[in-house]
Amino acid sequence: MKILEIDKLNKSYEKFRLKDVSFDLEEGYIMGFIGANGAGKTTTLKSILNMINYESGEISIMGKNFCENEKELKQHIGYMFGDADFYTRRRICTITDVVSKFYDNWDGDEYRRLMDWFGLDDKKKVMELSEGMKVKFSLVLALSHKARLLLLDEPTSGLDPVARDELLELFQKVVEDGRTSILFSTHITSDLDKCADYITYINNGKIIDSKALEDFKNSYRLVKGPVAKLDEVSHKLVSHKTSSFNFTGLAKESEITQTDGIVLEVPELDDIMIYYARRERNNA
Amino acid sequence: MRNLLNKELKLTINPFFYILPLIMGLLMLIPGWLYFLVFMYFCFITVPNTLAACKAQNDLSFSILMPVQRNDIVGARVLSFTILELLHIAFGAVFAVINIKLYGEAVFFMTPNVAFFGLGFIMLGLFNLFLFPIFFRSAYKYGVAVTVSTIAAFLFAAGAELLVLFNRELNVFMRYYKGDHWLVLIAGILIFAIMTYISYRISIIRFRKVEA
Repeated sequence: MKILEIDKLNKSYEKFRLKDVSFDLEEGYIMGFIGANGAGKTTTLKSILNMINYESGEISIMGKNFCENEKELKQHIGYMFGDADFYTRRRICTITDVVSKFYDNWDGDEYRRLMDWFGLDDKKKVMELSEGMKVKFSLVLALSHKARLLLLDEPTSGLDPVARDELLELFQKVVEDGRTSILFSTHITSDLDKCADYITYINNGKIIDSKALEDFKNSYRLVKGPVAKLDEVSHKLVSHKTSSFNFTGLAKESEITQTDGIVLEVPELDDIMIYYARRERNNA
Repeated sequence: MRNLLNKELKLTINPFFYILPLIMGLLMLIPGWLYFLVFMYFCFITVPNTLAACKAQNDLSFSILMPVQRNDIVGARVLSFTILELLHIAFGAVFAVINIKLYGEAVFFMTPNVAFFGLGFIMLGLFNLFLFPIFFRSAYKYGVAVTVSTIAAFLFAAGAELLVLFNRELNVFMRYYKGDHWLVLIAGILIFAIMTYISYRISIIRFRKVEA
């Protein structure tokens, strides 16, 4: 079953626009939502939660239209926004006491178990937690009300490598039940290699691709060769960089074939992001 | 709505503002004072401080992310502030009774009698009428909302005091027609309720366009 479906989402700001954003996520999987800073990741996540008023498009969660069933569907969503710290000067237990009353499925025993497991002390104030602990607290709240969909906006940014690795392992544990799904935005692509099943790539408000991680990487090729060969292939490239003698570019796998003097490699996620961003900059 | 009100009362409003009505109510014991000020401390202190705390603590995003309807976010805020207003009036009333027992009729400004409390309700209703619709245009900016609504309340209070002071008939009514003062109180409560409800309805419409 599709836990999340987004269809032709449009939202305009003065200098930025989400253009026909469409993708979906099956239950029991982790999807990495990648894009450069300002590409539209947070705007999309906020649109999903109806925090901003989008102009057109449809968002469905668990097969139901979100706008028409917002109150009911939010019972099944957990969230974490990197830029939003709520009531940081209040004790965790006070916040939990308030939050728990909003959720019909709140499981106090599970909450205690997770708090102990993460080593979180609910007598502490939120501001006394490290960034990693804050993310964990958000996850505890989400998992304690048995959220089926976790929407996490850059949960790993600001974390040290150890905390990041722990968190990514935790994501995998969370989806093990086959019912819970995670959509998390990030620009740290190495995180995705460790845990993402699917990748959705957004660039300048437009979805470039949304597919399984390996399929996503395999649908592109990093093209390397001498500058003399550039003219032959430049029209097939998303964009390219040149040095004194050589060039490196990105092309869609379906549009490029191996020829003499040119080397084709499967790119990393970073490469794909870099060359698309470069194309935007060149076109601007 | 019940859960959001619980959030307002436990998280949003600092416990100090539940004690403030008692402290401000004591000001009713100052002889011959401008007693509208007792209620206006709610406008001067509680409202800007609470709204500033909301802004600092990202209350808007917090509330929107909960499984609630947007209308209820407005409703809970209006209701929680109304509860505080009623607390100010209730404690004011307790000390107003003591005031009248101690000092009798005021010589210059209005005596805090039953009719005065009717006017106090109207003043707070007017305050609400301006505060919430302006605040819920953004749901986090509070400067203009607090300034405009406080000026509206102040102008009403100053106008009422001056009218009673200089209009002989009104002065006589406020001093001697005590049997009719209950009518002023009832009318005041009704006007307060109507103004607050209108304010709530306008705020709902404005809040629909707000983005967190």
